Amino acid sequence: MLHVHQLSKRYDTEPVFSHVDLTVAPGEFVAIVGESGVGKSTFLNCLAGLDSPSGGTVRVHDTDITALDETAQALFRRQHLGFVFQAFHVLPHLSVAQNVALPLMLLGTPDAQRVEAALAAVGLSGLGERLPQQLSGGQLQRVAIARALIHRPSLILADEPTGNLDPQTADTIMDALVAETRAHGAACVMVTHSAAAASRADRVLRLTREGLHDAP
Amino acid sequence: MRPDAGAPRLSSPVGRLLRTFSWQELRHHGLRHSTAVLAVLLGVALAFAVHLINASALSEFSAAVRSVNGQADLSLRAARGLLDETLYPQVAQRPEVAIANPVIELQTQARVVHTSTVSASSPTQTAPMSLRVLGLDPLVASPLTPLLVPRLATEVPGIDRLSLFAPESISLNAAAQRQLGVQAGDTIALQAGLRWVTLRVVGTVSAGGGPTGVMDLAGAQDTFGLHGQLSRLDVQLQGGAQPDALLRALALPPGVIADSADAATQRVSNVSRAYRVNLTVLALVALFTGAFLVFSILALSVAKRQQQFALLGVLGLSGRERLQLVLWESAAIGLLGSVLGLAVGTGLAATALKLLAGDLGGGYFPGIAPSLQWSPWAALLYGALGVIAAIVGGLLPARAAQQLAPAQALKGLGDAPSGRTQQWFGPLLLVVGVGLTQLPAVGGVPLFAYLAVMALLVGGIACVPGAVGAVLSLWPRAPLARHAALMLSVERARRMRHTATVAMAGVVASLSLSVALTVMVSSFRGSVTQWLDVVLPADLYARTAKSSSGAEAMHLDHRFLNAIAALPGVQRATGIRVSSLSLRPDQPAVALLARPIGEGTGDDAPGRSLPLVSDAIPARPGLVSIYVSEAMVDLYDARPGTTLQLPLQAGQPPVTAWVRAVWRDYARQQGAIVIGEADYQRLTGDTGLNDLALHLAPEARTADLQAAIRATAAAQGLDGALLEFAEPREIRQTTLRIFDRSFAVTYWLQAVAIGIGLFGVAASFSAQVLARRKEFGLLGHLGFTRRQILGIVAGEGAALTSVGALLGLALGIAVSMVLVHVVNPQSFHWTMDLLLPWPRLAALCASVVLAGTLTALLAGRAAVGRDAVLAVKEDW
Repeated sequence: MLHVHQLSKRYDTEPVFSHVDLTVAPGEFVAIVGESGVGKSTFLNCLAGLDSPSGGTVRVHDTDITALDETAQALFRRQHLGFVFQAFHVLPHLSVAQNVALPLMLLGTPDAQRVEAALAAVGLSGLGERLPQQLSGGQLQRVAIARALIHRPSLILADEPTGNLDPQTADTIMDALVAETRAHGAACVMVTHSAAAASRADRVLRLTREGLHDAP
Repeated sequence: MRPDAGAPRLSSPVGRLLRTFSWQELRHHGLRHSTAVLAVLLGVALAFAVHLINASALSEFSAAVRSVNGQADLSLRAARGLLDETLYPQVAQRPEVAIANPVIELQTQARVVHTSTVSASSPTQTAPMSLRVLGLDPLVASPLTPLLVPRLATEVPGIDRLSLFAPESISLNAAAQRQLGVQAGDTIALQAGLRWVTLRVVGTVSAGGGPTGVMDLAGAQDTFGLHGQLSRLDVQLQGGAQPDALLRALALPPGVIADSADAATQRVSNVSRAYRVNLTVLALVALFTGAFLVFSILALSVAKRQQQFALLGVLGLSGRERLQLVLWESAAIGLLGSVLGLAVGTGLAATALKLLAGDLGGGYFPGIAPSLQWSPWAALLYGALGVIAAIVGGLLPARAAQQLAPAQALKGLGDAPSGRTQQWFGPLLLVVGVGLTQLPAVGGVPLFAYLAVMALLVGGIACVPGAVGAVLSLWPRAPLARHAALMLSVERARRMRHTATVAMAGVVASLSLSVALTVMVSSFRGSVTQWLDVVLPADLYARTAKSSSGAEAMHLDHRFLNAIAALPGVQRATGIRVSSLSLRPDQPAVALLARPIGEGTGDDAPGRSLPLVSDAIPARPGLVSIYVSEAMVDLYDARPGTTLQLPLQAGQPPVTAWVRAVWRDYARQQGAIVIGEADYQRLTGDTGLNDLALHLAPEARTADLQAAIRATAAAQGLDGALLEFAEPREIRQTTLRIFDRSFAVTYWLQAVAIGIGLFGVAASFSAQVLARRKEFGLLGHLGFTRRQILGIVAGEGAALTSVGALLGLALGIAVSMVLVHVVNPQSFHWTMDLLLPWPRLAALCASVVLAGTLTALLAGRAAVGRDAVLAVKEDW
């Protein structure tokens, strides 16, 4: 489903990472760990077409994202990708339900029942009309997970999804993320520093300047 | 024991933060904050310059009055026309009187006849120039008005001490000598009616001000045909004598009034006060819009530093201290702007006094060339106004910094929807504004009307959030679910109404002021045009004197009028006698216009020859009919159906006149009365004429007729070249040209207001875009294209400026109604019809919407680059 071939990134002459190869099957959950500054978030952005790699290709299904122009990349993300961030990133002036419904609206397929079901699946049933500032950090991350999955993308990219949460809440969030990802048959690539979060993945890989390797 | 007892007393960190935290912000965004300083500078400079110019002119006018009246305790003059000379010995012989000084004073024209020298630095004046002539008894006047006592040039052959009393000699002040280019021994000519009278320059006088000449009293009376008449009688009392006691003892005949030099200055001050206040208010408009610019720039600055303030809050800076910090920043901007503004204002005033004299085109201080009168107290006042304006502008951003929830802001929810706002505030101010328009002027100044304008503007802007919320709550929700971009815009506008207010405030304020000024000027211009059509029914006008102050000596007579009426091509010729009439000591003299007034429906019927504001009521048997201007109603309560006592003839009891109608007069704000020519001549015996109105046959050519009239004058021994002719078309063009020139400053102010408003929009949108970089970054992650995000920003910009333009238009029209129907009548005592120039208003609104949308788009472009997409990485 996701095929990364010889991906490299450098800023001017300073290499960030190089020779990265990765294949993720549908439904597979991959965790990527590594030292700070090694380029884990940059790697995710390259997968999403949000950053331009210096070399290599990223294919999702049969589409080479790196070969698309900016608009086509945006349209591709809209349909096939879902994001979960460390800092939640929900829009403060939209209600919880509206935040979750955003990807569907972008696709022109609004579906209130589906939004309600997505909220129920992450344990937020009945909170759709609330505004984000009325929720806790854990609840906000559940909103983000529901939003990432609502349009049934084939690939979820999660950047430190538990970084802002306490261990107990982080555990609950990971439960939701894993369960929902599997329920939708989506592949998931998660960048994390947390050993506990990484332990929930099918595979754990370490990103270094020279490439991706199986973590011990 | 109190919980904080024993805790160390901490000094406020605001001062230290101001020098570090705030200074860095001001320094790093120097250009942006310089614009705020510039806005305050502009407002303070304009307001201070107007104040300095007016104060200097008033001071100079007062000094000029003093130089002419000297040390007189009081002046006696006729309510209309001139004073009978027989009053002089009666007054002079009173024991209470130290000196009684008889004076002739008039304004005429002078030209050079012969000069012995030609100087390159002071060229000879060949064209006639205006000259004030004073006729005095030099022996009596010297202790009272030393500046007017001639210093004879006895070194010039033919000039000796007796020249002082020679009837054909004159002494000139420095301004007259300079402008005429003459000196002692030269010969000049003065206009007397339609004749030139030749005089020899025999000396100089020290009086300052405009060009002035001093003659012997008898010589002046001879020259101008004023035998046995005086302009006034100046009186200096013996030590300890009281003016009131003298006036009681004199038992002055009816039609003779007494006033003082202070009263004359006060009258001019009163008449020009409304004009001065209006100019000052116009200048303060720039300061008002400047406050909005300070508001916009500080709102941007606070939005940008939201997380810095949040961090400071977490570190222990209280909300109150954050408020103080931003207010101090505003005050610093205001202080700098004010100091620079005072300097620029002083320069502006000095330049304007040099170029425009003291009245800025208002015509209230004729012949005055004032020097700058700088006042530290006024500087302090206007400087404080600038600082206050800046602090008021910074109040809302300061409150935003105060009310910031640090934890929420650090989590990225600092831009969360605001809670309940005081939604009653805006409507309450609107109601208060409407109520204030019903209150009368204070001392001739429409103080409450100006407060009403301010209340309407602030109230209207305060209504923006509520109005936006109300309108958007009616928006159908279903279509929103299908359009993500639309939903984002609508929901943001609905839930983040306070930011909409920030963006729109500048547009609403600047556009409403521009609309109000446009409507007011258009209404005034339209009304003046209509008025000119009515007051100029004849085909050709002729007159002798340039100034009404020469009306007593510069008149024509009926013999001349009849000769003109008999010329071929003249269908009808009528004359108008213009004189001034003092009705009350505390008010300037009103104009008394005597002209043929007929009954019925003829051309001379009041309904056709006067711009009446309502139908005339029937005449009252036994009473003289008069028609009064609108100012007479305000100043003398002379409504139709009431009577007015007119002191037409000194020594005779006043005439009771019946007010039949009110007419509109844009020429004389102190009031004017039209009386039938026959009544006037019967009651005063005065058969002189100042202006002639000629109705011509269709085939008559005005150029030929002017030549024929001049020839007629020559045949009667007059100088026809002294007649001035004007056709209605020329008068209309000249009037409207002067009108447009006078109001040109309002167009500049509109441009400044719109410019400041748009800058405010740019600053507001930049602030919002800055605050929303993460939002746009998230939208990029979710698959929004750059075009879609730009579309959202541009759409919001267009929507907000459109709503702002509509609101500004509505508010502007409301404010213009206050200006037209309240401020103008209360200031100048005339009314006008409200005219809405829709094409210009539409163009104004459209240009603002276009510029606002473009500004938003430009601000948005910065937010949709790749950096913005990566903004989601930023730690909140």
